Amino acid sequence: MPIIEMKKVFLLGHRNEKELVFDLLQKLGTMQIADIKTGSTWDEFEALLEPEHPTESASDFDNRLSMIRYCLDFLQRNFPMRKSFLQQFTGAKMELTRAQYGAYIEDIGQVKELYESCRQIDDELVQIRNEETQYTNLISEMAPWKNLEVPLEETKDGPFAVMRLQIIANDHLEYVKGKLEKEIPNAYLEVISGDNEHLYFFFTCLAEDYQQVLEIFKEKAVTAAAFPGFTGTAKNNIDDLQKKLENLEQKRAAALNKLEDLLKYRLLLMACYDYADNEYRKLDAVSNLARTDNSFLLEGWVPAPVVADLEYTMAAKTGTAIVVSRDPLPREEVPVLLHNKGPADAYEVVTKLYSTPRKSEIDPTPYLAPFFFVFFGICLSDAGYGLVLSLIALFMLRKLKLGGMGKQLLQLLFYGGISAIVFGVLLGSYFGDLLKLPALWFNPLEDPMRMLFYCFAIGLVHIYFGMGMQAYRNIKAGHPFSALFDQGFWFIFLNGLIMLLLPDFSGIGRYLALGGAAGLILTQGRSQQGVVKKFFSGLLSLYNITGYLSDVLSYSRLLALGLATGVIAAAINSMGGMIAGSTVGTVFMVLVLFGGHLFNIIISTLGSYVHTSRLQYIEFFGKFFEGGGRSFQPFGIKNSYIDVVEADEAL
Amino acid sequence: MDGIQIALLGAALAVGLAGIGSAIGVGIVGQSAAGLVTEDPDKFGQTLLLQALPGTQGIYGLLTGFIIMQRVGIIGGELLPLSVANGYAFLMASVPIAIVGLLSAVYQGRVSAAAVGLVAKRPEELGKGIVYAVMVETYAVLALLASIMLLFGIPV
Repeated sequence: MPIIEMKKVFLLGHRNEKELVFDLLQKLGTMQIADIKTGSTWDEFEALLEPEHPTESASDFDNRLSMIRYCLDFLQRNFPMRKSFLQQFTGAKMELTRAQYGAYIEDIGQVKELYESCRQIDDELVQIRNEETQYTNLISEMAPWKNLEVPLEETKDGPFAVMRLQIIANDHLEYVKGKLEKEIPNAYLEVISGDNEHLYFFFTCLAEDYQQVLEIFKEKAVTAAAFPGFTGTAKNNIDDLQKKLENLEQKRAAALNKLEDLLKYRLLLMACYDYADNEYRKLDAVSNLARTDNSFLLEGWVPAPVVADLEYTMAAKTGTAIVVSRDPLPREEVPVLLHNKGPADAYEVVTKLYSTPRKSEIDPTPYLAPFFFVFFGICLSDAGYGLVLSLIALFMLRKLKLGGMGKQLLQLLFYGGISAIVFGVLLGSYFGDLLKLPALWFNPLEDPMRMLFYCFAIGLVHIYFGMGMQAYRNIKAGHPFSALFDQGFWFIFLNGLIMLLLPDFSGIGRYLALGGAAGLILTQGRSQQGVVKKFFSGLLSLYNITGYLSDVLSYSRLLALGLATGVIAAAINSMGGMIAGSTVGTVFMVLVLFGGHLFNIIISTLGSYVHTSRLQYIEFFGKFFEGGGRSFQPFGIKNSYIDVVEADEAL
Repeated sequence: MDGIQIALLGAALAVGLAGIGSAIGVGIVGQSAAGLVTEDPDKFGQTLLLQALPGTQGIYGLLTGFIIMQRVGIIGGELLPLSVANGYAFLMASVPIAIVGLLSAVYQGRVSAAAVGLVAKRPEELGKGIVYAVMVETYAVLALLASIMLLFGIPV
């Protein structure tokens, strides 16, 4: 069975052994802990038991985690660790041996200290940034007055005279100047500098005249600039500020240097993060259980085959813990764990990308696997490309040591490459037409109609298979008549229609098609009320033939993608052939061939993968598969940064 | 006018229009992808995959153009003497991928750009985003198929 059966497990123990039990559970990683308070049996327990809350040490670890997270983020912000292109898909973890990992964990006490240092450097950097903005703003404010000889502290209102720094829009200067000359001849105005919009001028007049001057200024929105607290000329001040900025830059470099010294602790922080995270989740998991004064009760899901393991471990390693299991109740939502043996395992990734099946459903993985294998091969259909793809996938499998879906995807590509080799040999394509070997079967470039026919045929098999799966589901669910009406009659009707097209079988085909259609008309309206409604919705259901037609036609993409791979490869070969000849030409030819074919492999593999997936999701799954189950997520050790490996594997 | 010019117009339209569509589509996705990567540089790989999706129409167009060039002998052989009628046949064979390639790439670009938003919030659902985009590409594949079948069917 590809969907593993689950057991509901109750674990009862003495409170003294609570931590030990959780420790064991986490190491085993086979139990999905359910919150007992939301379980179906809570009503019965509620009078007897109290919900448990996490202890204080949980919040200790939580605090520590947020400290480490802060430090790691801070380091990452200033000294980013780059992930390679591949790692962005696979995630990058550091490899540590168990001993190294343990040594780092010993030093978890250092976290607080590191946090303080990071905090301090962070504050310093913020302070530096603030001062920097302040100084740069001042500099840009003073810059227009750079050529003013008057010290800044003297630009003020004295008892007899007023000295001011003023800013005016370019167009208005003439007007203000004219008016001042006319009305206050004693006033003095000197333009210091100007830019696109404004002119900056020095202005002085008698204090008694200033009221009148202000009236004129107001008219043209002349504003004042002032630098209280600064002495000396603007130029001197700007130089000072610039020096201060340089100082700040040095300070920043010093702070970053200090931080760079802390970089060597990054691995320690990562290890401690993973450790603290796991400890925290272990302590926090306690909130899922219920207790009496001296005992606790825990509820969860465990895959049926490993229940015995759990029972054994609990019996061997603890004194009091007892494991009780039962089959799931019909109403309970059971988590789903897929397990496929052999090559089919790789194709789980296809199913999971669509949706986890429900508990009551069939896992479609083993059934889609052979179709996926064949379709992928037809789409890529080149022996050379298949070989390269398989080798790359194999190399990455060895090199990257991925788990879960990443590994499955690479395995899927490996099998896809093998399939492409098979179809490449059958259809005579080796890096396009680079090696001119005859096709073992036939060349689709010479006879595309024949290939199209085969594509439709294999598509029809795929669709029939999906219908068969639904029929099986119906029968298993106790509706054999639904299987006959909804799938059987369609099967007869469709086959009849196909036979009608073949001259030899058109006689039988006519009866089959008519019989199937009659069956459909009579049965497809069975959920409706009244004979007339039943008949018309039965008649209308024949319209679904367009759906089947478009489903079958959809498989033409197999031919199209196969041709595309081959023709692009041929195009690359002929481009290479055009420049071959001289020595330089030959070098370029090799480059063109290498780059071009690599590009084509990537783009064709992507196309093959996504279009083959689509045929599974829309054409195949549409017939019988619903999905929407929840996947099994066991309580176990989860690391974000560190991969603990055995000593001899470490780099 | 000779047959050959008309046939080459077909090749030019297939490469040109489908290429324009892909350029627009890839451009749309690139803009939203760049927005996401400013927030989260680690999503570069995933978004690049999405950006590549509307690029295939351009390749299909190029492919069609290449087949025309090969069939009329521009590359890899002698230039064939084409009648005007045959020239038009080549032109018409290129129409499906030229038009469908242009429009489907633009719409596929929009779907992929939306999928970038999906990846931003739920990176694990990349597969579903790709499937949505591939639904659009179906019609470009069908158009390519029609163009190829037409091209191979023209007797020269």
